[in-house]
Amino acid sequence: MTTPSSGSLAPAARFDPVFTITALAVLFLTVVPVGTAVFYLGFVRGDSPCVMCWEQRIGMLLVSLVGLFVLRFGPRPKYVGMAILIAAWGLLMGLRHVGMHASRDVGQGFSLEIMGAHTYTWALFTYWVCVIAMGGLLLMVRPAHLGVSVRTLNSLERITGWAFIVVVAANVVQAFASTGPPPFMGQSDPLRFSFNPRYWHWSTEEWKPPLKLNFRGRWAVDKPVLASLPIDPAAGPFGSLPAIAVKERRSVPMTFNAAPTDLAFDAATNQFLITTDVGVYLTDAALAMINRYTLVDAGFSADLGRFAGAAFLDKGELIAVGENKSFVVLKPNDNASADSNYRYFLESRDRFDEVNRSRFGTVRARMFYTLSAAYDPASNSIFTLTVPNNIAKRLVVSRFDRKDFTLSEEYVPAITRDACLTPFDKRGLNEFTVTGATVKDGLLYAISAAYSTLLTFDLQSHQLVAAYAVPNLKQPVGIASMGDDLYILGADRALTVIARPPVAAATPKNPMCTTEEKR
Amino acid sequence: MEFLNLLLILTAAFLVLKRPERERTAFRLLVVSTLLMVVLFSLATRSGILPGLNY
Repeated sequence: MTTPSSGSLAPAARFDPVFTITALAVLFLTVVPVGTAVFYLGFVRGDSPCVMCWEQRIGMLLVSLVGLFVLRFGPRPKYVGMAILIAAWGLLMGLRHVGMHASRDVGQGFSLEIMGAHTYTWALFTYWVCVIAMGGLLLMVRPAHLGVSVRTLNSLERITGWAFIVVVAANVVQAFASTGPPPFMGQSDPLRFSFNPRYWHWSTEEWKPPLKLNFRGRWAVDKPVLASLPIDPAAGPFGSLPAIAVKERRSVPMTFNAAPTDLAFDAATNQFLITTDVGVYLTDAALAMINRYTLVDAGFSADLGRFAGAAFLDKGELIAVGENKSFVVLKPNDNASADSNYRYFLESRDRFDEVNRSRFGTVRARMFYTLSAAYDPASNSIFTLTVPNNIAKRLVVSRFDRKDFTLSEEYVPAITRDACLTPFDKRGLNEFTVTGATVKDGLLYAISAAYSTLLTFDLQSHQLVAAYAVPNLKQPVGIASMGDDLYILGADRALTVIARPPVAAATPKNPMCTTEEKR
Repeated sequence: MEFLNLLLILTAAFLVLKRPERERTAFRLLVVSTLLMVVLFSLATRSGILPGLNY
């Protein structure tokens, strides 16, 4: 390997920082991450790379191979181009792999951990270092370097070449044992490495259809749209439900900056709270006059998105929750400073103070948007309910502690047998799109824009205890409890008032049993 | 397929070190190997090419 067999050779290599640093970088990249992975983690500890780890490892070897090209033929533009392309792809591979595990709890990950980080994290770091190193080397390249035809290699460069050959050869052995010859390829969950063929498992799992590419996968969640939802209660999961009597129906005469998105009522101040996309409005109890309002700068700091839930809290404060579960807590203040609040509000800056702006974190509800928020003084908690989306459908109730706005309870409600509610085959609560919620006497009342249904959940038992059809509802966006009534506000400012229904016992007199028990 | 790809890399390295007059062949192997890596990774992550994170 000391001399090439033919070609125009450059004079015997003398010290040149470009080639010396390149040789050291290739040697380091080959021996430390890849050599350690194959000899120590693989052959000693039995670690077998997953298919993503294999490609990241191969990418590092390809960067090193480009380094060998540079050592032999000089830093030609096509080599630099290839190195940048490979490293850029390597960064994407590293990010993709880290992204699968980045948000897990501390210490959790996939496969082995090295110095506090799992292997795929080191792959990302290595590619980042490669890019930095290449940038530094390019700064040192001079025109004379580009005229090199074929260089003879000095001792360091020969060692680097041999090290590369040995490490790649070892990887060939491990790849044959772990992944097999074509068409077999790496696996998502590989077996522990062994030299014994009895334990080799070759797979074509990754070739199986569907081979369709998807860029964001399960993260490509569409934001909720109400306009296309079915509104006929009879077409819902429970079929025909008892209809609840409407006491009053009228239009709210006030003008807002945009369509309403939620409704809440506070008995202490005798006010309603209405939110719009970025608007927060306090109105009188007759829903006839705006007492105060503001437009929140939703893009500043935590992205609040579009307000979809609203609730009064304790201490005279209120909360507006975005559909992305980010929230802002406001407090009315007649002496608020418009100048100080310039950063928080777009209009009417002297009517509220911003107390807190942050995000609710969830577990089961993580991949879902919400269109509702409710506050329960008894448990000092805030509730949100998920809405189905194009990727997944599940109704999740999340409870957050008012004190630290942290998830304290989360569940998928069951349907109590006492309610005489039986969904049709394979249908269920996940078909409802809850757009408003309110808590009263330990019960969570949720209005669904899909199938115009009022759902009642028992907060103690985590069960649906009643469901009623609400006639002639069109895009309800919020529900509030006032006295013995429930006020339902529509996106078109239509207001529907109904009596808060009792939770019927499971008796033959239960109106639901007459329609559902027979099915 | 990783086995095949590593063989391509090994061959390319051999050519660079021992048969430099075959530079064009070695470089083609480098390009093919890179494309194979991209294809295999894309195949393995086809359900979500981009990192699974909020955007």
